[in-house]
Amino acid sequence: MAGSTVKLWDGPVRVVHWLLVVLLLFSWWSAEDHLNWHRWSGYAILGLVVFRVWWGFAGGEAARFASFVKGPKAIAAYARTLGGRETAVTPGHNPLGALSVVAILLVLAVQVGLGLFTVDVDAFEAGPLSDRVSFETGRQIAEWHELNFRILQALVAVHVLAIAFYAVWKRTNLVWPMITGRRVLPSDPGLAGAPWWRLIVGVLLAAAVAWFLSRGARF
Amino acid sequence: MALIGKNAALAVALGIGAAVAAGGAIAHDDVMPKNANAATKAAYARHENFKKLGGAFKGLNDELRKPSPSLAVVRTNAGVVASQSRALPTWFPRGSGVQARPMSEAKAEVWTDAAGFTSAASNFQTQAAKLTQVAAGSDLDAIRAQTRQTFMACRGCHEKYRQEKKS
Repeated sequence: MAGSTVKLWDGPVRVVHWLLVVLLLFSWWSAEDHLNWHRWSGYAILGLVVFRVWWGFAGGEAARFASFVKGPKAIAAYARTLGGRETAVTPGHNPLGALSVVAILLVLAVQVGLGLFTVDVDAFEAGPLSDRVSFETGRQIAEWHELNFRILQALVAVHVLAIAFYAVWKRTNLVWPMITGRRVLPSDPGLAGAPWWRLIVGVLLAAAVAWFLSRGARF
Repeated sequence: MALIGKNAALAVALGIGAAVAAGGAIAHDDVMPKNANAATKAAYARHENFKKLGGAFKGLNDELRKPSPSLAVVRTNAGVVASQSRALPTWFPRGSGVQARPMSEAKAEVWTDAAGFTSAASNFQTQAAKLTQVAAGSDLDAIRAQTRQTFMACRGCHEKYRQEKKS
Protein backbone atom coordinates (compact mmCIF):
# COMPACT_ATOMS: atom_id res chain seq x y z
CA MET A 1 0.00 0.00 0.00
CA ALA A 2 1.28 3.41 -0.88
CA GLY A 3 1.34 5.77 2.04
CA SER A 4 3.46 7.05 4.81
CA THR A 5 4.65 5.57 8.06
CA VAL A 6 2.90 7.47 10.81
CA LYS A 7 2.89 7.48 14.60
CA LEU A 8 -0.15 5.61 15.83
CA TRP A 9 0.10 4.12 19.32
CA ASP A 10 1.92 6.11 21.96
CA GLY A 11 4.39 4.40 24.31
CA PRO A 12 2.05 4.08 27.30
CA VAL A 13 -0.65 2.32 25.23
CA ARG A 14 1.89 -0.25 24.02
CA VAL A 15 3.49 -0.80 27.39
CA VAL A 16 0.10 -1.25 29.07
CA HIS A 17 -1.00 -3.65 26.34
CA TRP A 18 2.01 -5.97 26.54
CA LEU A 19 2.25 -5.83 30.32
CA LEU A 20 -1.38 -6.93 30.42
CA VAL A 21 -0.58 -9.86 28.14
CA VAL A 22 2.28 -10.99 30.38
CA LEU A 23 0.47 -10.38 33.68
CA LEU A 24 -2.75 -12.07 32.56
CA LEU A 25 -0.81 -15.19 31.63
CA PHE A 26 1.07 -14.99 34.91
CA SER A 27 -2.13 -14.52 36.92
CA TRP A 28 -3.69 -17.49 35.17
CA TRP A 29 -0.69 -19.67 35.98
CA SER A 30 -0.38 -18.50 39.58
CA ALA A 31 -4.09 -18.76 40.43
CA GLU A 32 -3.87 -22.31 41.69
CA ASP A 33 -0.77 -22.70 43.84
CA HIS A 34 1.03 -19.36 44.00
CA LEU A 35 -1.58 -17.06 45.44
CA ASN A 36 0.96 -14.68 46.94
CA TRP A 37 2.35 -13.93 43.48
CA HIS A 38 -1.20 -13.97 42.12
CA ARG A 39 -2.06 -11.13 44.49
CA TRP A 40 0.94 -9.05 43.38
CA SER A 41 0.11 -9.67 39.76
CA GLY A 42 -3.45 -8.54 40.47
CA TYR A 43 -2.25 -5.30 42.07
CA ALA A 44 -0.13 -4.62 38.99
CA ILE A 45 -3.09 -5.27 36.68
CA LEU A 46 -5.26 -3.04 38.85
CA GLY A 47 -2.71 -0.28 38.43
CA LEU A 48 -2.60 -0.83 34.67
CA VAL A 49 -6.40 -0.62 34.41
CA VAL A 50 -6.48 2.59 36.44
CA PHE A 51 -3.72 4.00 34.28
CA ARG A 52 -5.44 2.97 31.03
CA VAL A 53 -8.71 4.60 32.07
CA TRP A 54 -6.84 7.78 32.96
CA TRP A 55 -4.98 7.57 29.64
CA GLY A 56 -8.33 7.13 27.88
CA PHE A 57 -9.15 10.66 28.94
CA ALA A 58 -5.71 12.26 29.15
CA GLY A 59 -3.53 10.28 26.76
CA GLY A 60 -2.59 10.58 23.12
CA GLU A 61 -5.40 10.90 20.60
CA ALA A 62 -5.54 7.24 19.52
CA ALA A 63 -5.69 6.21 23.19
CA ARG A 64 -8.71 8.35 24.01
CA PHE A 65 -12.15 6.83 24.46
CA ALA A 66 -13.67 9.93 22.90
CA SER A 67 -11.71 9.27 19.71
CA PHE A 68 -12.67 5.63 19.22
CA VAL A 69 -15.87 4.74 21.11
CA LYS A 70 -18.65 5.10 18.53
CA GLY A 71 -22.42 4.72 18.41
CA PRO A 72 -24.47 1.87 16.92
CA LYS A 73 -24.71 3.49 13.47
CA ALA A 74 -20.96 3.86 13.08
CA ILE A 75 -20.44 0.33 14.38
CA ALA A 76 -22.99 -1.09 11.92
CA ALA A 77 -21.51 0.90 9.05
CA TYR A 78 -18.04 -0.38 9.87
CA ALA A 79 -19.29 -3.96 10.29
CA ARG A 80 -20.62 -3.85 6.70
CA THR A 81 -17.09 -3.21 5.41
CA LEU A 82 -15.66 -6.25 7.22
CA GLY A 83 -16.19 -8.65 4.31
CA GLY A 84 -14.15 -6.52 1.93
CA ARG A 85 -10.55 -7.52 1.31
CA GLU A 86 -9.18 -4.00 1.29
CA THR A 87 -6.52 -3.14 3.87
CA ALA A 88 -7.92 -1.73 7.11
CA VAL A 89 -6.93 1.92 7.46
CA THR A 90 -8.63 3.15 10.64
CA PRO A 91 -6.01 5.27 12.42
CA GLY A 92 -6.55 3.59 15.79
CA HIS A 93 -9.26 1.31 17.14
CA ASN A 94 -12.04 0.76 14.61
CA PRO A 95 -15.64 1.12 15.89
CA LEU A 96 -16.01 -2.64 16.33
CA GLY A 97 -12.62 -3.06 18.00
CA ALA A 98 -13.59 -0.24 20.35
CA LEU A 99 -16.30 -2.50 21.80
CA SER A 100 -13.64 -5.10 22.47
CA VAL A 101 -11.38 -2.56 24.19
CA VAL A 102 -14.17 -1.27 26.42
CA ALA A 103 -15.40 -4.78 27.21
CA ILE A 104 -11.92 -6.06 28.11
CA LEU A 105 -11.24 -3.05 30.33
CA LEU A 106 -14.58 -3.44 32.08
CA VAL A 107 -14.17 -7.17 32.63
CA LEU A 108 -10.60 -6.59 33.87
CA ALA A 109 -11.87 -3.96 36.31
CA VAL A 110 -14.54 -6.38 37.55
CA GLN A 111 -11.91 -9.11 37.81
CA VAL A 112 -9.48 -7.18 39.99
CA GLY A 113 -12.42 -5.74 41.96
CA LEU A 114 -13.66 -9.23 42.77
CA GLY A 115 -10.13 -10.41 43.50
CA LEU A 116 -9.80 -7.83 46.27
CA PHE A 117 -12.58 -9.57 48.22
CA THR A 118 -11.87 -13.18 47.27
CA VAL A 119 -11.26 -15.80 49.95
CA ASP A 120 -9.59 -19.11 49.11
CA VAL A 121 -11.14 -22.37 50.23
CA ASP A 122 -8.68 -22.81 53.14
CA ALA A 123 -9.63 -19.34 54.42
CA PHE A 124 -5.93 -18.50 54.53
CA GLU A 125 -5.10 -16.86 51.22
CA ALA A 126 -7.38 -13.92 50.51
CA GLY A 127 -7.65 -10.54 48.80
CA PRO A 128 -6.65 -7.42 50.75
CA LEU A 129 -10.25 -6.29 51.33
CA SER A 130 -11.57 -9.74 52.25
CA ASP A 131 -11.79 -8.84 55.93
CA ARG A 132 -14.81 -6.72 54.93
CA VAL A 133 -16.81 -9.82 53.94
CA SER A 134 -17.75 -13.11 55.58
CA PHE A 135 -16.11 -16.40 54.68
CA GLU A 136 -19.21 -17.44 52.72
CA THR A 137 -19.42 -14.18 50.81
CA GLY A 138 -15.70 -14.33 50.09
CA ARG A 139 -16.09 -17.85 48.72
CA GLN A 140 -19.03 -16.75 46.55
CA ILE A 141 -16.92 -13.87 45.25
CA ALA A 142 -14.12 -16.34 44.50
CA GLU A 143 -16.56 -18.24 42.27
CA TRP A 144 -17.52 -15.04 40.47
CA HIS A 145 -13.81 -14.27 40.12
CA GLU A 146 -13.43 -17.61 38.35
CA LEU A 147 -16.51 -17.16 36.16
CA ASN A 148 -15.46 -13.65 35.20
CA PHE A 149 -12.08 -15.05 34.18
CA ARG A 150 -13.88 -17.32 31.68
CA ILE A 151 -15.56 -14.22 30.25
CA LEU A 152 -12.16 -12.54 30.06
CA GLN A 153 -10.69 -15.56 28.29
CA ALA A 154 -13.54 -15.46 25.77
CA LEU A 155 -12.94 -11.75 25.11
CA VAL A 156 -9.21 -12.33 24.65
CA ALA A 157 -9.96 -15.20 22.26
CA VAL A 158 -12.26 -12.93 20.20
CA HIS A 159 -9.56 -10.24 20.23
CA VAL A 160 -6.87 -12.63 18.99
CA LEU A 161 -9.20 -14.12 16.36
CA ALA A 162 -9.99 -10.62 15.11
CA ILE A 163 -6.26 -9.86 14.78
CA ALA A 164 -5.84 -13.12 12.85
CA PHE A 165 -8.81 -12.22 10.64
CA TYR A 166 -7.26 -8.86 9.75
CA ALA A 167 -3.91 -10.54 9.06
CA VAL A 168 -5.32 -13.26 6.81
CA TRP A 169 -8.39 -11.72 5.19
CA LYS A 170 -7.37 -8.09 4.98
CA ARG A 171 -3.61 -8.60 4.89
CA THR A 172 -3.32 -6.01 7.63
CA ASN A 173 -0.72 -6.57 10.33
CA LEU A 174 -2.11 -5.07 13.54
CA VAL A 175 0.46 -6.68 15.84
CA TRP A 176 3.56 -4.91 14.57
CA PRO A 177 2.14 -1.39 15.11
CA MET A 178 1.31 -2.37 18.70
CA ILE A 179 5.02 -3.17 19.11
CA THR A 180 6.61 -0.28 17.23
CA GLY A 181 3.85 2.27 17.57
CA ARG A 182 4.05 3.01 13.84
CA ARG A 183 1.87 2.03 10.93
CA VAL A 184 1.76 2.66 7.20
CA LEU A 185 -1.42 4.59 6.42
CA PRO A 186 -2.55 6.32 3.20
CA SER A 187 -2.14 9.68 4.90
CA ASP A 188 -0.90 10.93 8.24
CA PRO A 189 -3.95 11.48 10.49
CA GLY A 190 -1.78 13.81 12.59
CA LEU A 191 -2.73 12.23 15.90
CA ALA A 192 -2.09 14.51 18.84
CA GLY A 193 0.29 13.28 21.52
CA ALA A 194 0.00 13.92 25.23
CA PRO A 195 2.35 16.02 27.37
CA TRP A 196 4.75 14.24 29.73
CA TRP A 197 3.17 15.51 32.90
CA ARG A 198 -0.02 13.56 32.11
CA LEU A 199 1.98 10.35 31.93
CA ILE A 200 3.57 11.10 35.28
CA VAL A 201 0.21 11.97 36.87
CA GLY A 202 -1.27 8.74 35.48
CA VAL A 203 1.57 6.56 36.77
CA LEU A 204 1.41 8.17 40.21
CA LEU A 205 -2.39 7.85 40.30
CA ALA A 206 -2.28 4.18 39.27
CA ALA A 207 0.48 3.34 41.74
CA ALA A 208 -1.30 5.17 44.57
CA VAL A 209 -4.62 3.41 43.96
CA ALA A 210 -3.01 -0.02 43.63
CA TRP A 211 -0.86 0.50 46.73
CA PHE A 212 -3.77 1.82 48.80
CA LEU A 213 -6.00 -1.14 47.90
CA SER A 214 -3.21 -3.68 48.36
CA ARG A 215 -2.78 -2.37 51.91
CA GLY A 216 -6.41 -3.09 52.69
CA ALA A 217 -7.67 0.44 51.92
CA ARG A 218 -6.84 1.73 55.38
CA PHE A 219 -5.68 5.25 56.15
CA MET B 1 -20.43 12.42 31.41
CA ALA B 2 -19.52 15.06 28.89
CA LEU B 3 -15.96 13.76 28.93
CA ILE B 4 -16.79 10.34 27.56
CA GLY B 5 -20.00 11.06 25.69
CA LYS B 6 -23.30 9.26 25.42
CA ASN B 7 -22.02 6.23 23.58
CA ALA B 8 -19.31 5.37 26.05
CA ALA B 9 -21.77 5.86 28.90
CA LEU B 10 -24.15 3.47 27.18
CA ALA B 11 -21.39 0.90 26.70
CA VAL B 12 -20.45 1.15 30.38
CA ALA B 13 -24.08 0.76 31.46
CA LEU B 14 -24.52 -2.28 29.20
CA GLY B 15 -21.34 -3.83 30.56
CA ILE B 16 -22.38 -3.39 34.15
CA GLY B 17 -25.84 -4.75 33.35
CA ALA B 18 -24.33 -7.84 31.72
CA ALA B 19 -22.00 -8.41 34.67
CA VAL B 20 -24.86 -8.20 37.17
CA ALA B 21 -26.98 -10.55 35.06
CA ALA B 22 -24.10 -13.04 34.87
CA GLY B 23 -23.64 -12.84 38.64
CA GLY B 24 -27.34 -13.50 39.24
CA ALA B 25 -27.35 -16.40 36.81
CA ILE B 26 -24.75 -18.38 38.74
CA ALA B 27 -25.91 -17.52 42.24
CA HIS B 28 -27.45 -20.80 43.21
CA ASP B 29 -29.42 -21.88 46.20
CA ASP B 30 -28.41 -25.38 47.17
CA VAL B 31 -31.17 -26.39 49.56
CA MET B 32 -31.33 -29.81 51.16
CA PRO B 33 -34.25 -31.85 49.77
CA LYS B 34 -37.11 -32.32 52.25
CA ASN B 35 -37.01 -36.12 52.15
CA ALA B 36 -33.23 -36.30 52.57
CA ASN B 37 -31.84 -39.56 53.95
CA ALA B 38 -29.20 -39.77 56.66
CA ALA B 39 -26.24 -39.66 54.24
CA THR B 40 -27.60 -36.59 52.45
CA LYS B 41 -28.27 -34.89 55.78
CA ALA B 42 -24.70 -35.65 56.79
CA ALA B 43 -23.38 -34.14 53.53
CA TYR B 44 -25.30 -30.91 54.11
CA ALA B 45 -24.36 -30.80 57.80
CA ARG B 46 -20.71 -31.27 56.81
CA HIS B 47 -20.98 -28.31 54.46
CA GLU B 48 -22.29 -26.14 57.30
CA ASN B 49 -19.54 -27.39 59.59
CA PHE B 50 -16.84 -26.53 57.06
CA LYS B 51 -18.38 -23.08 56.64
CA LYS B 52 -18.16 -22.60 60.41
CA LEU B 53 -14.55 -23.82 60.35
CA GLY B 54 -13.69 -21.56 57.42
CA GLY B 55 -15.37 -18.62 59.13
CA ALA B 56 -13.34 -19.15 62.31
CA PHE B 57 -10.07 -19.60 60.42
CA LYS B 58 -10.77 -16.50 58.37
CA GLY B 59 -11.60 -14.59 61.56
CA LEU B 60 -8.25 -15.70 62.97
CA ASN B 61 -6.34 -14.63 59.86
CA ASP B 62 -8.18 -11.31 59.53
CA GLU B 63 -7.28 -10.51 63.14
CA LEU B 64 -3.64 -11.55 62.78
CA ARG B 65 -3.25 -9.26 59.75
CA LYS B 66 -4.37 -6.21 61.70
CA PRO B 67 -1.68 -3.87 63.01
CA SER B 68 -2.55 -4.73 66.61
CA PRO B 69 -4.53 -7.98 66.80
CA SER B 70 -6.85 -8.69 69.69
CA LEU B 71 -5.70 -11.83 71.49
CA ALA B 72 -9.24 -12.45 72.71
CA VAL B 73 -10.53 -12.66 69.11
CA VAL B 74 -7.58 -14.83 68.11
CA ARG B 75 -8.20 -17.23 71.01
CA THR B 76 -11.94 -17.49 70.39
CA ASN B 77 -11.41 -18.35 66.72
CA ALA B 78 -8.53 -20.73 67.44
CA GLY B 79 -10.83 -22.47 69.91
CA VAL B 80 -13.53 -22.94 67.27
CA VAL B 81 -10.96 -24.26 64.76
CA ALA B 82 -9.71 -26.77 67.35
CA SER B 83 -13.18 -27.98 68.35
CA GLN B 84 -14.18 -28.33 64.70
CA SER B 85 -10.97 -30.26 64.04
CA ARG B 86 -11.87 -32.72 66.78
CA ALA B 87 -15.36 -33.22 65.36
CA LEU B 88 -14.22 -33.43 61.72
CA PRO B 89 -13.66 -37.23 61.58
CA THR B 90 -17.37 -37.73 62.34
CA TRP B 91 -18.48 -35.57 59.40
CA PHE B 92 -17.78 -38.18 56.75
CA PRO B 93 -20.09 -41.17 57.20
CA ARG B 94 -19.76 -43.69 54.37
CA GLY B 95 -22.02 -42.81 51.44
CA SER B 96 -22.13 -39.07 52.15
CA GLY B 97 -20.08 -38.02 49.09
CA VAL B 98 -21.37 -36.79 45.72
CA GLN B 99 -23.90 -39.64 45.66
CA ALA B 100 -25.59 -38.00 48.67
CA ARG B 101 -25.18 -34.41 47.53
CA PRO B 102 -24.11 -33.73 43.93
CA MET B 103 -22.39 -30.47 44.92
CA SER B 104 -20.32 -32.20 47.59
CA GLU B 105 -16.61 -31.52 47.28
CA ALA B 106 -15.59 -34.71 49.08
CA LYS B 107 -13.59 -37.01 46.81
CA ALA B 108 -14.21 -40.75 46.82
CA GLU B 109 -10.65 -41.09 48.20
CA VAL B 110 -11.97 -39.97 51.60
CA TRP B 111 -13.40 -43.48 51.85
CA THR B 112 -11.26 -45.52 49.47
CA ASP B 113 -8.11 -44.25 51.20
CA ALA B 114 -9.61 -44.14 54.67
CA ALA B 115 -6.28 -44.64 56.42
CA GLY B 116 -4.68 -41.70 54.60
CA PHE B 117 -7.70 -39.51 55.27
CA THR B 118 -7.75 -40.39 58.96
CA SER B 119 -4.08 -39.56 59.25
CA ALA B 120 -4.59 -36.20 57.46
CA ALA B 121 -7.52 -35.40 59.75
CA SER B 122 -5.53 -36.27 62.83
CA ASN B 123 -2.63 -34.10 61.64
CA PHE B 124 -5.10 -31.22 61.43
CA GLN B 125 -6.30 -32.00 64.97
CA THR B 126 -2.72 -31.96 66.24
CA GLN B 127 -1.90 -28.64 64.55
CA ALA B 128 -5.15 -27.02 65.68
CA ALA B 129 -4.63 -28.18 69.29
CA LYS B 130 -1.12 -26.77 69.20
CA LEU B 131 -2.56 -23.53 67.85
CA THR B 132 -4.82 -23.11 70.90
CA GLN B 133 -1.81 -23.73 73.15
CA VAL B 134 0.32 -21.15 71.36
CA ALA B 135 -2.61 -18.71 71.25
CA ALA B 136 -2.97 -19.02 75.02
CA GLY B 137 0.31 -17.10 75.17
CA SER B 138 0.79 -13.68 73.63
CA ASP B 139 3.66 -14.24 71.17
CA LEU B 140 2.01 -13.06 67.96
CA ASP B 141 4.81 -14.29 65.72
CA ALA B 142 4.53 -17.77 67.20
CA ILE B 143 0.75 -17.65 66.76
CA ARG B 144 1.18 -16.61 63.12
CA ALA B 145 3.68 -19.40 62.54
CA GLN B 146 1.38 -22.02 64.05
CA THR B 147 -1.58 -20.61 62.10
CA ARG B 148 0.45 -21.26 58.95
CA GLN B 149 1.15 -24.82 60.08
CA THR B 150 -2.57 -25.32 60.64
CA PHE B 151 -3.29 -23.93 57.18
CA MET B 152 -0.76 -26.37 55.71
CA ALA B 153 -2.72 -29.19 57.35
CA CYS B 154 -5.96 -27.89 55.78
CA ARG B 155 -4.33 -27.54 52.40
CA GLY B 156 -2.61 -30.91 52.54
CA CYS B 157 -5.94 -32.61 53.08
CA HIS B 158 -7.76 -30.48 50.48
CA GLU B 159 -5.23 -31.35 47.83
CA LYS B 160 -5.84 -35.06 48.19
CA TYR B 161 -9.42 -35.38 49.33
CA ARG B 162 -11.30 -32.36 48.03
CA GLN B 163 -12.46 -31.67 44.50
CA GLU B 164 -13.88 -28.58 42.85
CA LYS B 165 -17.62 -28.75 43.16
CA LYS B 166 -19.74 -29.40 40.12
CA SER B 167 -21.86 -26.35 39.56
